[in-house]
Amino acid sequence: MKDTMGIILAENPEIRLNELTDIRSVAALPFAGRYRLIDFILSNMVNSGIINVGVTTLFNYSSLMDHVGNGNAWDLNRKTYGLFFLPPYIRGGDMGLGIGPNGGNVDLLYSVMTHLRRSRQSYVLISGGNLVFNTTFEELLNFHKETEADLTVVYHRLTDKPEQLSRTTVYEINDDGRVIGIEHNPKSPKTCYSGMGIYIVERTRLISMIEEAHAKGNHDFIRDVLLGNLQNLNIYAYEHKGFVGRVDSIKSYYDNNMLMLDDDIRRQLFGGENLIYTKVKDQVPTRYGENSAVSDSLIADGCHIDGQVENSIIFRGVNIGKGTVVRNSIIMQNTVINENCDLENVVIDKECTLRPNKRLIGQPNYPVILPKRTMI
Amino acid sequence: MISTDCVAMILAGGQGSRLGVLTTTVAKPAVPFGGKYRIIDFALSNCAHSGIDTVGVLTQYQPLELNTYIGSGNPWDLNRNSGGIYVLPPYQKAESGEWYKGTANAIYQNIEFIDKFNPKYVLILSGDHIYKMNYDEMIRFHEQKGADATVAVIEVPWEEASRFGILTADGESHITEFAEKPAEPKSNLASMGIYVFSWPVLKRYLTMDERNPESSNDFGKNIIPEMLNNSEALYAYGFQGYWKDVGTVQSLWEANMDIIADPPIFEIDDSSWRIFSRNPVKPPHYAAKGAQIINSAVTEGCEIYGTVKHSILFEGVKVGRGAIVEDSIIFPGAVIGENCVISKTIIGNETVISNSCTIGDKTIGEDCYKSKYCSDDISLIGGGLVISEGTKIGINAMVKESI
Repeated sequence: MKDTMGIILAENPEIRLNELTDIRSVAALPFAGRYRLIDFILSNMVNSGIINVGVTTLFNYSSLMDHVGNGNAWDLNRKTYGLFFLPPYIRGGDMGLGIGPNGGNVDLLYSVMTHLRRSRQSYVLISGGNLVFNTTFEELLNFHKETEADLTVVYHRLTDKPEQLSRTTVYEINDDGRVIGIEHNPKSPKTCYSGMGIYIVERTRLISMIEEAHAKGNHDFIRDVLLGNLQNLNIYAYEHKGFVGRVDSIKSYYDNNMLMLDDDIRRQLFGGENLIYTKVKDQVPTRYGENSAVSDSLIADGCHIDGQVENSIIFRGVNIGKGTVVRNSIIMQNTVINENCDLENVVIDKECTLRPNKRLIGQPNYPVILPKRTMI
Repeated sequence: MISTDCVAMILAGGQGSRLGVLTTTVAKPAVPFGGKYRIIDFALSNCAHSGIDTVGVLTQYQPLELNTYIGSGNPWDLNRNSGGIYVLPPYQKAESGEWYKGTANAIYQNIEFIDKFNPKYVLILSGDHIYKMNYDEMIRFHEQKGADATVAVIEVPWEEASRFGILTADGESHITEFAEKPAEPKSNLASMGIYVFSWPVLKRYLTMDERNPESSNDFGKNIIPEMLNNSEALYAYGFQGYWKDVGTVQSLWEANMDIIADPPIFEIDDSSWRIFSRNPVKPPHYAAKGAQIINSAVTEGCEIYGTVKHSILFEGVKVGRGAIVEDSIIFPGAVIGENCVISKTIIGNETVISNSCTIGDKTIGEDCYKSKYCSDDISLIGGGLVISEGTKIGINAMVKESI
C-alpha cells in the first residue's frame, strides 16, 4: 500500500477521560501494560505497507510526541516520507487557526492541507487513535477501488454494547455495500453497523472535500461532509471483522484493558504475524520475590513484584510491595505501591506513590482514578 | 583525517565449545543471558555508556546470528554517522587470506580498519564477560599513568587464582610480573582480558608478533609478556564489582542465578547503566489463574499457567498447567508442556518439551545423556528440539537431538 498515505487524528475533542486525558491525547493513553493506543493504528498502517503517516494533534501532545519520537519503533524513520508529526500552528493573520472549542476533524484536516498537498500518494487512509485492533488495510483499498467509491468508511458490528453504539456513527447499508443512511450518536440506532472512524479516499478528492467544507464554515467530517453529501457521493462501507476495542470513556478504557486477560483476544491482537510495535524502554525482565502471588494478570517488564496481584494490568517499572494486594486494577508505569496496601478496582496513572498500609477501593463499574504523580 | 580518542575491538569469534550444545549454531557472545540479553550486550552497553562510539566486533565462528543481532547497532546507540559499529569477519586479501589465528592476530588483520580512525588508544574487550564497567575511567587511568598498555584486573579468591592470568603490580600499579594460569600464584590479581593500548605501541608489537612463527598470536600468552620483557610501561587498573567469565555451563548458570538472588548478587536493574538489547516485539507476560511465580525473572511474551520457582524465562516462553520449572533457565520461545517437572536445566531456543516430561531428575541420577560439559547437576537441552511426551532425563545431561 505504498500508494496510500495515513493520517491519524490523535485527538478527538468528543472523547474525554477526565484525569487520564487532561494530561495527554486520547491516542497517548497507556494500554495493556506497555502500549499507547496509537500503537495499534500506527502498527496496522505500517503492517499494511504504508510509509507516509501523519499524526495530527491538538492539545497536550507532548506525551504523544515523546512516545512516537522519530517513528523509529515503527520503522518510520525514512528518507522518503516516514512519520510526520503535525501539531497545530498559527497561520499568519489568523490567530488561533480556527480549531476552537467548536472545531472538529474538518478543521484538523484543513490544518494539515500543506502536508496532504505535498504528499504524492493517490489515496489517504484517515483514522482516529482510540481503537484497539490488529488488521491490515489492503483488502479495504481493493474494495474501495472495485466499488469505485468516492469514499469508503470502515465499520464493525457492535452488538454487545448498546450504550456504546449510541456514542458512534451508525451506518445503514444496502446490499451492494453502499451507505444509504448515516446516524451520528443515535439514541435508538437503526443498525449495529458502527463506524470505526476510518475512511479511505483519493487524496485529491479529500483535498477538495475539505477545502469546500472549510469554505462553508463546516467543522464536522461526518455530519457536514458525509451526511450532508450522502445523495451526491458514492459512499461505501467496508466491514472489519475481528476484535475491536473502542476506548471512549473511563469504563470502556478499563473494560478493554481487562479484555487483554482473555487468551483468545490477547492472541488475536499480539500473537499473529502482524506485530504491534511500541517504544522500546530497555527495561529489565520483571523480578518476582519470595512472597509474590500473581494470578490472571498481564505484567510488563521492569517490575518488582513482592505482593499479590490478581486480575490486573501492571505496566512497566511498577513496584508492588510485600503484603500488598492488587485486584481488578490498572497500574501504570513506574508507580510504586509500598507494603501492605489494599487496592481494588483502581486505575493508577504513571509515577504515583502509595505509602505503606493504604487502602483504595473503587466500584466495579466506577474505578477510582489516581492522577499522574499522586502521592498518598 | 578524522581522529577518534579510542576504538574498541570486541573479540567475539570464539566458539565457546565448553558451552556444549548451546553454541553449536551460535557463537558464545550470542548466547542468551539474563532473561532478555545476549552475552555481548554487556560489552556493547558498557561501550555505549562509556562514550565509545567506534566499535569493531571480530567474528569468526558461526557469525550469522551475531551479525543479525548487531545489525546497524541502533539498540546500543551505535548507529552513528561517523564511527559506529562494524562487524569484522576474517577476509581474503590480495596475497593471502586466513582465519584469525589468535586474539592478537585478529587485531593484526584489522590494523587498516583501526588506522582509518587514527585513534590514540585501542580498547580490547572480550565478548563473553558479564559485568558493568566504565571503560572511560580506565582509559583516563591509562592516560594519567602515561602507560603503553593497561590491563584491567580483579581480585579473585586465592584458591581460584591458578585458573587465571595473574599479575603482580607494585604500589604504583606498575605491572612487574605476569603469569598465565600459574601453579603457584604470587598474587590474586587476575587479568580480566580487558586491555587499553596506546595504538602506535600495539601496532608495533602486533607486527613483531606476526613475524614470530613460534607465537600463538595471543594477547595473554604473547603480547603482554613480550611488552613486559621489553620494559614497556604496563599498568594494572583495579576493577571493583561483579565480573564473570561465562565460559562453562556451570558459570553461565551461576551468573544467571546471580541476577535473581535476593538481594541480587549482580544488579542489572540500574537506570544509570541500562543494559541495552534488541527488544522483542511482544506483549507483557501473562500469569494465568493458578500460576505461581516466585524468586524469578520473567519477560515479555511469556504465558505462565504452571509454577516457576527460582528461574529465568526469556521472551515468549510458555509454561503449561501443572508444570513445575525450578532453578532453570528457559531460552526464547521454548514451550514447557503440562505437568512437566524441569529442574536445574537450561533449555535452548524454541525447544518444545511435550507434556509430562521430567528433566534434571535427581532420583534418576546420571543417565545415558550424561555429558562432560555438564556438572553440578545442571542439564542442558539444545535449541529447536522436540522432546516427546513423558520423557525422563537425569542430571548432568546434555540432549542434542529430538527424543
